[in-house]
This record gives sequence, C-alpha cells and structure tokens, in this order.
Amino acid sequence: MTRADWIVIIIALACLPLVYVYNWRTQTQAIEATISGPDHYKRTIMLDHDQIIHVPGKLGDSVLEIRDGKIRFIKSPCTTKFCIHSGWLKYNGDVMACLPNGVYVQVSGGTRKYDAINF
Amino acid sequence: MSSNFKLILLLCLLLPLAACHPAKKMVTTTDSIMAFGDFVQVTLITVPRQDQRAILKRVEDEMNYMQTAFHPWKTGPMGRTNQLLAAAGKFSANPSVIPLVRKAQRLAKESQGLFNPAIGNLVQLWGFHADFPPQGPPPAPGAIQKLVRQHPRMQDISISGIRMDNTNPAVRLDLSGIAKGYVLDFVMTRLQAEGVHDAMIDANGDLKVLGQHGNRPWHIGIRDPRGNGIIASLDARDGEGVFTSGDYENYYDYDGKRYCNIIDPRTGYPADKTRSVTVINRDGALADAAATALFVAGPKQWPGIASDMGVKLVMLIDSQGVIYMTPQMRKRITLEKAGKEVNVVSLP
Amino acid sequence: MPDPNTLSPMQITLSTTRDDHRIAWLTAAAVLIHLFESAIPTFLPGIKPGLANIVVITVLVMYGWRTAAWVSILRVLVGSLLLGTFLSPTFMMSLSGAVASVSMLWLASHLPGRGFSAVGYSLLAAMAHISGQFVCAYTLFIPHAGLWRLFPVLLSMAIVLGMINGIICLRLVNRLKATACKTS
Repeated sequence: MTRADWIVIIIALACLPLVYVYNWRTQTQAIEATISGPDHYKRTIMLDHDQIIHVPGKLGDSVLEIRDGKIRFIKSPCTTKFCIHSGWLKYNGDVMACLPNGVYVQVSGGTRKYDAINF
Repeated sequence: MSSNFKLILLLCLLLPLAACHPAKKMVTTTDSIMAFGDFVQVTLITVPRQDQRAILKRVEDEMNYMQTAFHPWKTGPMGRTNQLLAAAGKFSANPSVIPLVRKAQRLAKESQGLFNPAIGNLVQLWGFHADFPPQGPPPAPGAIQKLVRQHPRMQDISISGIRMDNTNPAVRLDLSGIAKGYVLDFVMTRLQAEGVHDAMIDANGDLKVLGQHGNRPWHIGIRDPRGNGIIASLDARDGEGVFTSGDYENYYDYDGKRYCNIIDPRTGYPADKTRSVTVINRDGALADAAATALFVAGPKQWPGIASDMGVKLVMLIDSQGVIYMTPQMRKRITLEKAGKEVNVVSLP
Repeated sequence: MPDPNTLSPMQITLSTTRDDHRIAWLTAAAVLIHLFESAIPTFLPGIKPGLANIVVITVLVMYGWRTAAWVSILRVLVGSLLLGTFLSPTFMMSLSGAVASVSMLWLASHLPGRGFSAVGYSLLAAMAHISGQFVCAYTLFIPHAGLWRLFPVLLSMAIVLGMINGIICLRLVNRLKATACKTS
C-alpha cells in the first residue's frame, strides 16, 4: 500500500462522521424567510400567513409564494427556471436562489420559537 | 458493488422511506380546555388512528374532576375536609384527597415547613383565595400575628387509611401550591396509558411534557419576572415538568410595596426577597411545591432547602434581579437577555 | 432478379487486437461474478460486497484505466442484458454507479507520483459508486430529501467493503504478477 492509500483512508474515515451529521441533522420548521436581491434589497418575512411577494431582480420581478409555512419561486424572468424547479423551502437553514436574477432566499428561525412560555 | 438484486432491494427499501419522511406521519393537535380556573393548553402529537378528540375529552374530564376535588374553598371533597379539619379531632376524609394530602405532608416536612399548605387561613386573610387579586390595604398586623402564632402545620394531621386526625383547629389546607403539579403528573400518566408518546400540557404557565415536539425537543421560554419578554429558554426532556412561582401573577401593590400571593408561613407576610423560582423535575408535584418553598426561602436559604427536597434543577431570581442557578440548571438554560449576571450555586 | 452473388453468405472479418480479446475475457469474468452476486442473498438489503469491482480494480492495476473502463461499462451492459434488466431502473442505477467509479478511477490513476495501490483505488471507486447511485436515485426515481438519510449508512458500508475488496485485489495482483513472472 502507498502513502496515497493511507491518505485516502484517513480522509474517508474522518469525513464519515460529518456525512452522518450533515445527512441526519434534525430539520426544524422555519418560521421566517430572508429574501435578498440586487441593490441591497433585503426583507425578512414571517411564513405564518400565505402571500405572494414580488422581488425586483436584475432581469425583472421574481415572484415568490408563501403558503402553509413554506416558500417557493412561482415566476421568474430567467431562462433556466432552476429556481422554480427547486420547489418548496421549509426547513431551518435551507437556501434557494435564482442566480441569473440575483434573488436569494433563506429560511430560518425554527429554533427560536417556543412551544410554551413558563411563568 | 452493484448488482440487480441489491438495487431492487435498495429501491424497495427506499420507496416507503421516502413516503414517510421527514416526520413520521404524526398529527399535532393543540386545544384549550378549561381547568384550574383558566385555559389549559394541551398539545398532543398522535398517530392518525388515535382519536385525539376522545383523549382530549378524557383529559378535560379528569382535570375538571380533580380541580373540584382539590378546591380548598368551594364545596367538594377538599372543601368538606377543611370544614372537618376546623373542628379538630378524628374524621373520615374523602378518599380522593388523601393521596394529595399525604404527598403535601411529605413535601412540607422536606421543605422544613417553607412549603406549608396548612396556612389556608392566612391566605384567606390576605384575600389571595379569591378569583381576582385583592386591592389592599394589607390586613392588620395583629390579625396576621394571631394566625401565625397558631402554628398550623401539616404534621398536625395524621392519616390512617381514610381516617384523618387533626390536633390543630387552625389547620386549613390550601393545596394550590402542589395541586397543579399533582394533577399534571396524573394526567400525563393517563396519556401514556392511552399510548400517547409526545404531548405537552401547559396549565397557565406551569407545564409538563412527554417525548418531544416532532423531531426536536419541547422548547420552553421562561418569562422575565419584570418587564416583558423571555429571560431564558430551555429544552424540556421527556417526562419533565417545568414549574415557576413568581410574584407577578397574583399580587397587589400598596404604598409602593408589592404583596404577592406566596406567603411566608414564618412571618405571615408575603415573601419579598424573590421575584421568581423555576424548578424542573420529573415529579410535577415536587417541582410545584419546591418552587413555592424556594420562593419563600429566598436568595440565601434556597440551596439548603433545594438539597433537602431533592431538586437539582433550580433557577431563582431575587428581588434585585440577580439570577441564581444550580450548576445542573446552568447547563440546561440559555439566557435570552444580554448582560444578566448569573450566580452558579452548588447545592450542599 | 438480384445478382446471385449478393445472396451468397458474406463473411465479415473484424480485425481484433490483443487488447480487445483481453477486454472480452475480463468482461466475461466480471459478468460471471456480477451474475453470481445477484443470485446470492444478502444479509442486509441494499448492501452487496461488490465482488465484480475486484475485477475492475485488478484490471486497472494490471492493464490501465482504459481497459478497466471498458470492462466496467461492458459488465453493466452485458449483465443487464443477461438478467433482462436493460434500461430498467436497476440498470440505470448500475450504470450510474459504474460511470461514477470509472470517472473517479480516471482521476485517481492520473495523479502524479506513485499514486494509489489497489486498496486506494478500490476505496475511491466504492465511495464514488455509492454516491453516483444516490445522485441517480435522487434525480431519476426518488426526488425526496429523505433518501439522503440512508446515504451515511451505505457510505459506511462502501468504505468497509471497498477496503476489504482492495486488500483482496492487492493479493490478487501480487499473485498474478508472480504467476506472470514464472510463466514468462
């Protein structure tokens, strides 16, 4: 066996726990979405009531839909439409973007919500 | 590595997995039921075939029954017991109150009398027995002194079977410092017997949990005793109760001084060295009683009493706003407000 | 009337190289193992020892990447034809695994220096193989995030089995080289 073998074995074994952590991390429902766009456009919107949002992008308006605590792209001026195909976002920390239009969405806040207030 | 056999099996394995992810198909039901003179929030996470409505109904019936049974002033098992206690001597008590009275006796002893449900007459004198907080002024010092000198204690009662023997006619039981915890313990046991694994009952600020909320723990915020908002938060674990006694729930201000409903049995006056005490324990009745006892004990005495009562997870905020915690509690608590000083105190 | 000459049997001779023969023989060996492996039951669903990969790695060490790539891809094609799964999801999964591991082996075998022995190749191939299959399963069949929950487990198995297979390859290569020396 060569030194390269050992390096690969060590890297594989070292990364394995990370793969477990990454794939088995608990997913918590997000409660808000942060939407950013070109020209310092930035908005944080609660996901608790349904609405349609127009975000001005580089090519035109990206249209986002919030429904049942989830958010997605429903209209985009880009040609690839990858953003629309990425579907619903609902778990804490999840991100999606329309790169051609410069619109980014991240959902967060799942752990800040209390199940109950003790007093 | 690939073979057809493997792949067929892999797909067979993955398809049902995909169908049931992310959460096991669970139904979360939150409902408010009337109990303890207020709304009680019950959150049940059940599998679809369980009948949440029926479970909630049974929980409500149970709580309503126990509330009537344990109410110290209204007609009912406890009200009747109090009448008989006032006459002193031996009598047959309603069996429904006996386990609770026994438990209260034990906890009163362990708290060195700081948790003292026998001072019902003092509570009534101060007016905190009513459904609405009294307005003041405080009662006459002479009247308070008279009741304190009568020394009503839980040890004045002895129980044998359903027979109670009371040697002190001044004893009047006000079990509101333990009844909520006791009822929550009871209802949670019932829920488990119904096959519910994940649930939370929030009885007007005091709560107990089972299991967890979906794929994360039950996340509890603890209210700041002064001002608005959340002072700290914690994740409640399976079976734990979180109980807080505070001076901000049932109180009145008179001449610039706050009089709260937690009365120090030694002085007959409301305890005023503490703003709030939070206790976490799997035994809800213990946590409930300990929160009251440690509130009375105050910032100096609480570690000794906590140790005697066997509670390890305690947070106390004194009248100056200083936060005290046991080391075990410190590990569980996340402070939500910056710039708060915390004293970690190990129990003796 | 057609010209009788055109109706007469025509013989087409394909010129084959020594390399082609070698690929054919080795592919036959890999297919055999592939068929054998698909018949034995597994103790855990979704996990197979990947014995056919031993052939691919051994070929890579002995004859280079080009031959190994041929053997690997042909093995999947021929194996699926024989088992009747050609172009089925099973075949797509096999192929994606094979393509991923062959691509990984191309990268690995073009590293400067002494490079890898059979163990390193086998481990890399096994990890690439399972990753390729997951990407394929996710994009083509089960586009659901829950699928990836299974990934760490299968990756762990791939690492273990990849190393075991690698050690087998190492011995096999040593034995083959020794035999080659004796016969020549």
